[in-house]
Amino acid sequence: MNTLNIEVSKDQILGIVQEVFAAMLDMGETLIFEATKPTDLVDSLHAWVDMKLNLAEGPLTARAILCTSEETAQTITRTLLMTDEDEDVSFADLADAFGEIANMVGGNVKSLVRAPSELSMPVVSKEKDMSHEWLFLQDLHLVWRSQPLSVSLWVQPTTN
Amino acid sequence: MFVIVADDSRVMRQIVIRTLRQAGYDWQILEAADGQEVYDLTLDNNPDLVLSDWNMPNATGLEALIALRQAGSDVPFGFVTSEGSAEMREQATNAGALFLIAKPFTAESFKAAIDPVLG
Repeated sequence: MNTLNIEVSKDQILGIVQEVFAAMLDMGETLIFEATKPTDLVDSLHAWVDMKLNLAEGPLTARAILCTSEETAQTITRTLLMTDEDEDVSFADLADAFGEIANMVGGNVKSLVRAPSELSMPVVSKEKDMSHEWLFLQDLHLVWRSQPLSVSLWVQPTTN
Repeated sequence: MFVIVADDSRVMRQIVIRTLRQAGYDWQILEAADGQEVYDLTLDNNPDLVLSDWNMPNATGLEALIALRQAGSDVPFGFVTSEGSAEMREQATNAGALFLIAKPFTAESFKAAIDPVLG
């Protein structure tokens, strides 16, 4: 079993998320901040990417998961597509848009780890697929435009 | 200018095209949704520039670029991708890419990467 030694701090995750949201959603303004406490989400939606890392100690898979309410994911989608507030959002567009945000966050997290690595395509689901053995690494609770959102990092030990 | 914008995400293609306009590039755009389409559309249409995502189904942007060079195409090629590690930048340069723009991007970062290669 490999040593789980990838180190990504909350400050680094916050910096990445703030950069992604400011550039892609908020016209350069920082409107996403760390929350004072976690919020239980009703009707939550998860978007994640996996990073296959070839560390010196051996291969390891890390997963970056974004979680928010479906309503907030719809707001993210409308903002990215620049559509009206009352315009319907298809699940295909919602999965595409929310998945791209996870892809950018995961891609930038992956760039922090100095090891050969591969990024998966994003997955968006109402259920977290944590059926394999995942170990918690880090999480960050956030507020964007008064709406809760979280980012968490997990790692999966790889047996050589 | 006639440009191919490639990304498997329709939303991201829309954002890239919008950002190109914000950067002042009023170009004719053809969209591709995977690496195979990048290869086929480039050989069929001979664009002035290809702006491609890296991680796409069927073939990655890097695989498409390598295949294009092997097919004799010298189309100017740049990546717009969520991963901007030194390792990927080196791979991109070695394959013949002119630049790599990391997501998230802005109109300014597009101009900074694209203006120098327009000549």
